[in-house]
Amino acid sequence: MTSFNKTPRGRFSRFLGPVFSLPALRGRTFWLIAIFAPFQIQAAPDAIITEFRDDEILTKLPNTATEIFRETDSPKEAGDRLQMLITQARASGDPRYLGYAQTLINRWPDEQLTERLRVLRATLRQSLHQFDSARADLEQVLSSSSDNQQRIQARLTLANLELVQGRYTEAGRNCQALQSDYPGLIAKSCLASVQARTADPQKAYRNLAQQLAEATGRQPADSTSRLWTEGTLGDIAAQAGLPEAELHWRRVLQASPSDLYIRAQLADWHLEQDQFERVLTLTLGFEAVDTLAVIRAIAMKRSGHPGSDELIGRLRQRFEEARWRGTLLHARDVARFLLDVENQPHDALRLAIENWESQREPLDTRLSLRAALASGDRAQHQRVSEWLSQQGQIDARYPEFKQ
Amino acid sequence: MRITIRIWLALTTIALMSASGMAAAHKASDSFLYLNSGPTELRMDVALRDLALLVSIDSNGDNEISGQELRQARPEITRTIESALTFSNSSGNCGLAGKTWGISEHSDGVYSAARYAIRCPDDEPPEALEYDLLFGQDALHRGLVSLDYNGQTRLAVLGPDSRTLDLADKDTPSYFSVFKTFVYEGVIHLLIGLDHILFLLVLIIPATLSTHKDLTHGVQSKALRGRLLELTGIVTAFTVAHSITLALAALDIVSLPIAWVETVIALSIGLAALNVAWPVLGHKTWKLAFGFGLVHGFGFASVLGDLTSGVSDLAVALAGFNLGVELGQLALLVVGFPVLYYLGKNRIYQEGAVPVMLAGIGAISLFWVVQRAPLF
Repeated sequence: MTSFNKTPRGRFSRFLGPVFSLPALRGRTFWLIAIFAPFQIQAAPDAIITEFRDDEILTKLPNTATEIFRETDSPKEAGDRLQMLITQARASGDPRYLGYAQTLINRWPDEQLTERLRVLRATLRQSLHQFDSARADLEQVLSSSSDNQQRIQARLTLANLELVQGRYTEAGRNCQALQSDYPGLIAKSCLASVQARTADPQKAYRNLAQQLAEATGRQPADSTSRLWTEGTLGDIAAQAGLPEAELHWRRVLQASPSDLYIRAQLADWHLEQDQFERVLTLTLGFEAVDTLAVIRAIAMKRSGHPGSDELIGRLRQRFEEARWRGTLLHARDVARFLLDVENQPHDALRLAIENWESQREPLDTRLSLRAALASGDRAQHQRVSEWLSQQGQIDARYPEFKQ
Repeated sequence: MRITIRIWLALTTIALMSASGMAAAHKASDSFLYLNSGPTELRMDVALRDLALLVSIDSNGDNEISGQELRQARPEITRTIESALTFSNSSGNCGLAGKTWGISEHSDGVYSAARYAIRCPDDEPPEALEYDLLFGQDALHRGLVSLDYNGQTRLAVLGPDSRTLDLADKDTPSYFSVFKTFVYEGVIHLLIGLDHILFLLVLIIPATLSTHKDLTHGVQSKALRGRLLELTGIVTAFTVAHSITLALAALDIVSLPIAWVETVIALSIGLAALNVAWPVLGHKTWKLAFGFGLVHGFGFASVLGDLTSGVSDLAVALAGFNLGVELGQLALLVVGFPVLYYLGKNRIYQEGAVPVMLAGIGAISLFWVVQRAPLF
């Protein structure tokens, strides 16, 4: 359970057909679609390829064991499978696993859910950005469960959910509760994150770094808590504008290279400092993951890399298909792509704000501010700035905003 | 016990943080259904990876699908796909006749692709589609449908809770309803957009002011005709100009930074007001109307852009919006001009109210300029 699954990589490398061929629509429809480019969907497909060799490898299949689809009455077995699928989704950035997980949990009626299954369902819902229903599940576990392990799990999940949504009072309350139920580095990281985003990131950083040093000095802290704390230290250092951010994130990545969140944070950090080579190294082989692919595309574009057009074309197609589907889970990535690659600040702002309504992590906030500036939308800029002032949040990554 | 708690904890925590940024990377499972010619033709693309959940394609079990393995699995693949689709009309269920089969590529890899002719018992096109593929494996699977009606495309999404699709043409959002909506939006935007109204007001003020000659000679009817002509010229110039730039911007041919556009619009009001008192920009008001009308068009376009995301008939929307703006403008003139014209005969209006109004409008304009200039 501790090991991360290997990310299926390079799935695009085999068929490098026309990257973004113009739709084969005729006459007026074509022009209407072509003219209104930003989000027009390329509804006409490429031609069917009937000639392919027998020895050609068309697709690599992930190790999806067939037993995950078998029905089971055992909550433990269902829980194990669910947990595995969610982990796999995270490590690979592949939402199909979330779909399998959803199928699995759909078979369990609400009244038959065990505490563990409910916490897992909340985790899944959170991954699908169904924040309110995730919160409801967690609150139910916290108010009724006597299972301490599940209560701790629910508490931590809820604290993080509140943090991601920028509800710092609620996050702080849950971190406090976590500190009394499960004292240790994870609870301290939780509290430090809230402190950093509502008060002084420098101070939060110093405190947490000291706590980590003390904990390690007393007895070797278990590696998950330590890595978790390192990741948090990286985030807070970046917020405070401290160069140590890179060091902390690198430590986490060294131990778990499939931590896509940390990889994206680090890649973003290098991108901000125009260290394009480093961005390209970090994102190499992760083109299938939207966040990393968008950062890579920006680095390629800014450094005049010859492969940029190809990657940008692929991302364009990917986001068009997502648009057709109608659910944009990755609104932040699309918004950033529109802002930094496509140079469409208005559409970028629309999506960035849509995303910001539910997610208010520093990078979400930065994107909203940048898109508002680029499109000259004073009202939105002011709205985000006012929220930052209310929270008392200062971040070195968006100096445009002055308190 | 302790250790298991910790591991599971960290899993969720790290994952949770990632969730905000990473959740929907890669791509969820989609199949693509392209229907056209009636619809009597279907092209259906399903990801090989998804098919492998339903059909044992990877016969040698090496987690790779080769061209040969795919060819061998073709009968089972087509059977699976065909049994997941039910086309029907009043005469009963329709059959699928395979025409082309092969592969295609989408953003997340290789798909099995096939083209079919849809044959219903009465040789008429099908009226409904029922879709049931992969929902038992992947609750987030969707069938993305593109329906082509004589060059107009309608998109639809099939999911576990919406497995049937009405294929009849009738509920395609009509040009007319799009047009109507945008006429309304155009009117509303003009009427609530104070800057356009003020600009228009300043433009028409000169036409309402009686000249000394008019008063002494009392040749009202002639003066009125002259002023109406002047007014028509001004309004037409403004309309033509903003229509041009509205179209250019809406069609993405020209794009200007909106903050500067808004600033220049604010400035245009003040300059127009100034021009009434001191004709620094010349006596030909219609030229002024035309010049600044160009800038106002970009302002309208930014509003239109906000409204048209997801609208496929952009040209219809553009025409409707423009007409709406003109109607709003016309309504304003029909109400406003007679009032101003009547007041124009009054000396207090001429010598008192007009300068005060102009100064007020000028001040508002300068205030807006300062507020909007993107220098923050």
